[in-house]
Amino acid sequence: MAEPDVTDALSEDRRGDTRFLALGDVVADELFPDIDLALRRGRHVDREDGLWYSFLIDAQGHLEALYRRYGCELIHPSDGYFYLLPTGDKLGRRHLSVPEMLVGQALTLLYLDPTTLQQGGVVKRSDALSHLAAVMGSEALTRAFNPKRKRLDERVAQETVRAKFADALRRLSALGFVDLLEADSLRLRPGLLRFAEPVRGRGSPAEALEQLVARGELVLGDGESDEAEDDASTLDADENAVEEHAVVELPADLLSEFDDFGEPAGFGEPPSEDEA
Amino acid sequence: MAMPIDGVTEPTKDPRIVLSALAQSRPALDLSTLDLCFLAALYLRADGAALTSFDEEKLGEVFDSVCALLEPRPESLRRRATNTIQRLRDQKMLARVDGAGLLRAGEFALTRLAASIVDSFLQDESLTRENLTLLTRTLRVSLGEVLGCAKRAESAADWHDGVEGPLRVTVADLVSGIERRQRSLDLEQQEFQTQIAKLLQADWFGAVDRCLELLESTSRTLAELNEILLRDAHELSSVLQDIQEVAVGKSAACAETSVQRVMEQVDRISAWGAARQRAWSEYYQYVHRYLCDVVRLDPSRALIERLREQLSLHTTRPFALAVAAAPAPRLLREIEPFKDDKPKVSRPRAEREQPPVAHDAPDPHAIVEERVRVALAAGSAGLCEVTQRVNAETPSEEQFVTAGRVAQTVARLARTTQDRDRPWRIVQEGLVIEEWNIASGAHGGARRD
Repeated sequence: MAEPDVTDALSEDRRGDTRFLALGDVVADELFPDIDLALRRGRHVDREDGLWYSFLIDAQGHLEALYRRYGCELIHPSDGYFYLLPTGDKLGRRHLSVPEMLVGQALTLLYLDPTTLQQGGVVKRSDALSHLAAVMGSEALTRAFNPKRKRLDERVAQETVRAKFADALRRLSALGFVDLLEADSLRLRPGLLRFAEPVRGRGSPAEALEQLVARGELVLGDGESDEAEDDASTLDADENAVEEHAVVELPADLLSEFDDFGEPAGFGEPPSEDEA
Repeated sequence: MAMPIDGVTEPTKDPRIVLSALAQSRPALDLSTLDLCFLAALYLRADGAALTSFDEEKLGEVFDSVCALLEPRPESLRRRATNTIQRLRDQKMLARVDGAGLLRAGEFALTRLAASIVDSFLQDESLTRENLTLLTRTLRVSLGEVLGCAKRAESAADWHDGVEGPLRVTVADLVSGIERRQRSLDLEQQEFQTQIAKLLQADWFGAVDRCLELLESTSRTLAELNEILLRDAHELSSVLQDIQEVAVGKSAACAETSVQRVMEQVDRISAWGAARQRAWSEYYQYVHRYLCDVVRLDPSRALIERLREQLSLHTTRPFALAVAAAPAPRLLREIEPFKDDKPKVSRPRAEREQPPVAHDAPDPHAIVEERVRVALAAGSAGLCEVTQRVNAETPSEEQFVTAGRVAQTVARLARTTQDRDRPWRIVQEGLVIEEWNIASGAHGGARRD
């Protein structure tokens, strides 16, 4: 991560080059809401996103300063993609699960493979899974995708592998690492090179991992558990809201405040220090 | 095997009908390398010596020369030649053209099918700037002549000879020539893509320059072709529209249809250019990024190996990437105003229970008694007869109960006697009673219980 003064200086330079004179111009652009939401949800935006990428290139200086106030960094590696990396607690973050990490690395291998060039970066799902199994070994892959099962029924375990592979693909697609195409095909995207970051430098992978951990790019150990993901995946935002409402019991004195329904109830107030 | 698709020379047909007819004729092609080479040799011999047909002796010579190259086995050469020629005739690759039958040895020529097949293997007709320019220029000249004929045409024969014919044959051939070369260029592009992948596989960093050259040359070719197509297709469409206007003005429906078909084909050709340009552009950018981001940054090709190792050891040295995961903003629902269109729930005020009301109901006993009196008065001799009379006026479901009431009433109103045997009589189907004799003159008697 660059030092703040250097970054600010770069940002100042960039601001002079772009079509946006001020942050207000960036926010007023009709593309901003969608791009902002996508970045906050972990989306990686690359050149194939066309207008989004151009917008981010133009607005990079302004947006870096904006997102830094939210405790996160707008990262733009030389591979040609943008993503938002939370470095504080103001913006939610998550760590990719084991299936997502394994599938992501297998797809990165395919992305780097020259034979993928022939199809312009398009591969079959089945090829991706077989590549993953070939590199890891079928047994290790099955174990990795069925971590809590002590006795594995072969058929059930393989079915689980396929299901979790498909789920991981779906999640990686939502993050902009891959496009799910028709006819069982995938288009690999430059964001996948994030999975290769620990081994891209000339130093040892352990050192690279330490540096990446220090920058908040990754954590050592397994990320999210599958169960947590499953819960999250089965409930969309509204359903989550319903779940929360179902378990929260409002005290009687608070309920009495709803007698004058329609009056402002102070929802916009910042949380107190204790709550924080 | 490519099927000639030509929207100009043939009127548009329903594909289902065409396919049904094709399936009924059960076409099938079975060509070995030797067969194809034999056909190619005939094609080249005909082309070189300006031959229109081959006699049987020449066919045998050509077959021998092909066999000498491919399968140098002297034995049974004549028999193999005969079999091959017959097989090709069965598949409509060779046709006898002399029509002499048994009178003399036949003359054979390659069919259009055979010529097309050999063409597709031998002809390297890729679309180039030169041949595209030449083709479009010739096309413009031909269409100009057609326009002149259309303006001068007075009769149906003029339209047929001067407009429809050239549009169906000359113009269609030229347009088909462009399309055929477009398909060849498509194949070339596919080969380029394979070649780039192979170059990188073989010589990772060293292949970068060669790959870039291939990319640049193909991109340049496509851009030039697209430019020519855009410019010339516009001019061709303009001339075709003029011909169409003249045809409409002179009510030449057939010519108008022919012009329309050519216009569609010209549109298809220009659309091809744009589509290929777009597809190649995407591929170009992808390969360029790959060469810059992957190959140039990893000249020793160590990254793939290191990543492979990282993946295989991930379960022992796991790590997880961090991504932003802000929850979706929660939007409050719009409050829908309450619609009071349902019936209100209310308690009924009035008493639900109504007081009983007396109704005059007929007394079944009195009815039976009246009917028994009538039966006795009529002189019935026994209980069976009385019961029959009374039940005749009673509904079937009440007849059993009524029989008991009749016996009770008879016993009360008349004096009865019984024999020692106490006989049982059938009153009606399903009803049997014990017979009592009724004493004569006792009807309406005063016996009372």
